[in-house]
Amino acid sequence: MLKIIIPTAMLMPMTWMSKPNMIWINSTIYSLLISLISLSYLNQLGDNSLNFSLLFFSDPLSAPLLVLTTWLLPLMLMASQSHLSKETLTRKKLYITMLTTLQLLLIMTFTATELIMFYILFEATLIPTLIIITRWGNQTERLNAGLYFLFYTLMGSLPLLVALLYIQNTTGTLNFLIIQYWAKPISTTWSNIFLWLACMMAFMVKMPLYGLHLWLPKAHVEAPIAGSMVLAAVLLKLGGYGMMRITILLNPTTNQMAYPFMMLSLWGMVMTSSICLRQTDLKSLIAYSSVSHMALVIVAVLIQTPWSYMGATALMIAHGLTSSMLFCLANSNYERVHSRTMILARGLQTILPLMAAWWLLASLANLALPPTINLIGELFVVMASFSWSNMTIILMGTNIIITALYTLYMLITTQRGKHTHHIKNINPSFTRENALMTLHLLPLLLLSLNPKTVLG
Amino acid sequence: MKPPIFIIIMLTVISGTMIVLTTSHWLMVWIGLEMNLLAIIPILMKKHNPRATEAATKYFLTQATASMLLMMGIIINLLHSGQWAMSKNLNPMASAMMTAALAMKLGLAPFHFWVPEVTQGISMSSGLILLTWQKIAPLSVLYQISPTINPDLLLTMATMSIAIGGWGGLNQTQLRKIMAYSSIAHMGWMTAIMAYSPTMMILNLMIYITMTLATFMLFMHNSTTTVSSLSQTWNKTPLVTLLILTLMMSLGGLPPLSGFIPKWMIIQELTKNEMIMMPTLLAMTALLNLYFYMRLTYTTTLTMFPSSNNMKMKWRFEHTKKMIFLPPLIVISTMLLPLTPMLSIL
Repeated sequence: MLKIIIPTAMLMPMTWMSKPNMIWINSTIYSLLISLISLSYLNQLGDNSLNFSLLFFSDPLSAPLLVLTTWLLPLMLMASQSHLSKETLTRKKLYITMLTTLQLLLIMTFTATELIMFYILFEATLIPTLIIITRWGNQTERLNAGLYFLFYTLMGSLPLLVALLYIQNTTGTLNFLIIQYWAKPISTTWSNIFLWLACMMAFMVKMPLYGLHLWLPKAHVEAPIAGSMVLAAVLLKLGGYGMMRITILLNPTTNQMAYPFMMLSLWGMVMTSSICLRQTDLKSLIAYSSVSHMALVIVAVLIQTPWSYMGATALMIAHGLTSSMLFCLANSNYERVHSRTMILARGLQTILPLMAAWWLLASLANLALPPTINLIGELFVVMASFSWSNMTIILMGTNIIITALYTLYMLITTQRGKHTHHIKNINPSFTRENALMTLHLLPLLLLSLNPKTVLG
Repeated sequence: MKPPIFIIIMLTVISGTMIVLTTSHWLMVWIGLEMNLLAIIPILMKKHNPRATEAATKYFLTQATASMLLMMGIIINLLHSGQWAMSKNLNPMASAMMTAALAMKLGLAPFHFWVPEVTQGISMSSGLILLTWQKIAPLSVLYQISPTINPDLLLTMATMSIAIGGWGGLNQTQLRKIMAYSSIAHMGWMTAIMAYSPTMMILNLMIYITMTLATFMLFMHNSTTTVSSLSQTWNKTPLVTLLILTLMMSLGGLPPLSGFIPKWMIIQELTKNEMIMMPTLLAMTALLNLYFYMRLTYTTTLTMFPSSNNMKMKWRFEHTKKMIFLPPLIVISTMLLPLTPMLSIL
């Protein structure tokens, strides 16, 4: 694991000591090389996890997420080059340092063995994200957004700390590898219900669950592009990953306790998808679609069947890539028009046809077109929830239709139709932007050829 | 004040605390605390304005009352045990009285009313001594009598302190009052764990003193006393803005900074003693503290705070206050978390 951690940590001195015209090039190339190293972890043995040391391990659940995280750093750096071009050199280096710190903490979070270390790093990822949102965001609402983000997450996760320490005292260890075999079933007493709630609320807030999702549209909209990318692609998956790890300890209380959250997620899926149909702000639309996709993951994790876990993992990776790509596309709009309102930049297909192709592919991935892994994830989750209860198919089916509706709405509004007269003067697509979209899309398409890697 | 006099007074303050720390005779404890009190009054009054006089008077009156209450407890202990040595078995009534007296000295709720007003009236460096050095002596006495204190009393005072430290600091714009409420809240955390594991109290005290020293020194470097003048730090020394950001987050107890260590350890000790709701409640109330630290970082580091143009042209003198040991202090206040297993030395 050190072969990933030390190079990522060393990206920081390298950034500070590079020549001014080389900072972006150096950091992007070296972070791409680091992501190549992490690809070797995808080769997992079937029956047990790969253990690297007492502290770090990776199993078929965390390896795809690790690869996603390391893949995303070069993409974030490429996406940020344009909006940071006017800043002073020190601030650019600070920004890259923030992104690298966040990357380092995320890598360690996804591979942590001890649950307390996972908790510490989980909380630690809040600080660089807060700094990125508040310092480099664009509107005045970003202050409020940062505070909402920080305090929602902390309110959820402080009970988790108490619960983890309690579990350590009763079970003797919090090392994940041991707990897999040592977990005793807990009965449904009041105190165990509180334990369940304490463990899960942190991840519910992070996912986010429908009732607690208020921080997400604010944070996504106000963050700069790299912040939005990392929030949507990786930080939400922290919640899903944590939930999958901790439900091992919480059987069989989950069967009773899951009902309210299942209902919130199922209903929330449909509600947030419907809200997307009425959004004027492009980033806000993508943010609400993230809530909707993550609600599917919550449903999958709470059902706890093998198929639903496979679907949840695939959906997390797929959504990470798709949602990050959509944010990059929205950002390419924003950099030209300097407004996030969708109708201000219509009919882009006539002016930027290659970008329109990326919009088309991203939208098709978002609405879970076969044979992408988005479809595989959604299909597994829908099938698993159907077997859990027949009635859920109504809501799930409605959600799939509404997802298709708002994705096509977004596509048609931005790409088709007559273009507004004021966008004649926009810059053509940069090669950097096209490369960015390709790098998002290629893993997605390649994974549809071999989905077994992400099925966990 | 003249250097020789200042040296004598500081020596008296230090020796007062040292007497309290090293003695085993109850009367010497009282004597040490009184020496400390009397010698620190001139330090509080370094600036000769009526505000400082009022602050010093308030400090003197409350602390003298507390000393008398402590003396009463000592005498009751003498009556019931027949000897002056500090031992572990204390009469419950004496122990309750001593706890109340020491709580008054420390500024724990419900005896916290003097802390913001006194801290506000005095200069920054005196405030620094008040909030860090003055806590050592009473806490050491509490450490020694901790087995006999009623845990309910301690936990009530702790919960109230953390809550009052959190809510009280929310509407403040003066930095000294913010640090005063922060001190009340941290004292609350220290007393919460005293009944179960006094070692964690020492840990919390060490880390709190380090962080508060560093914070005060950074405030003195900028010669600021209000939040809005702190927001001009980006103009004077941009590096200090980054340091204030990390220090504030460390004070708020965010991982992975050192301020998280005491909170983690305290919550661990409390859960080991079968208390689940209490640490959750304490941790949630500490989030209020984090809110006003975050507000400080927003105005200082993360935004360029709106201000009139002539505020931006602060006089850029070389700082003349003593900043002893500042870089190591900052490193200890922020990067100590990986060394947590080292606390077995305590």
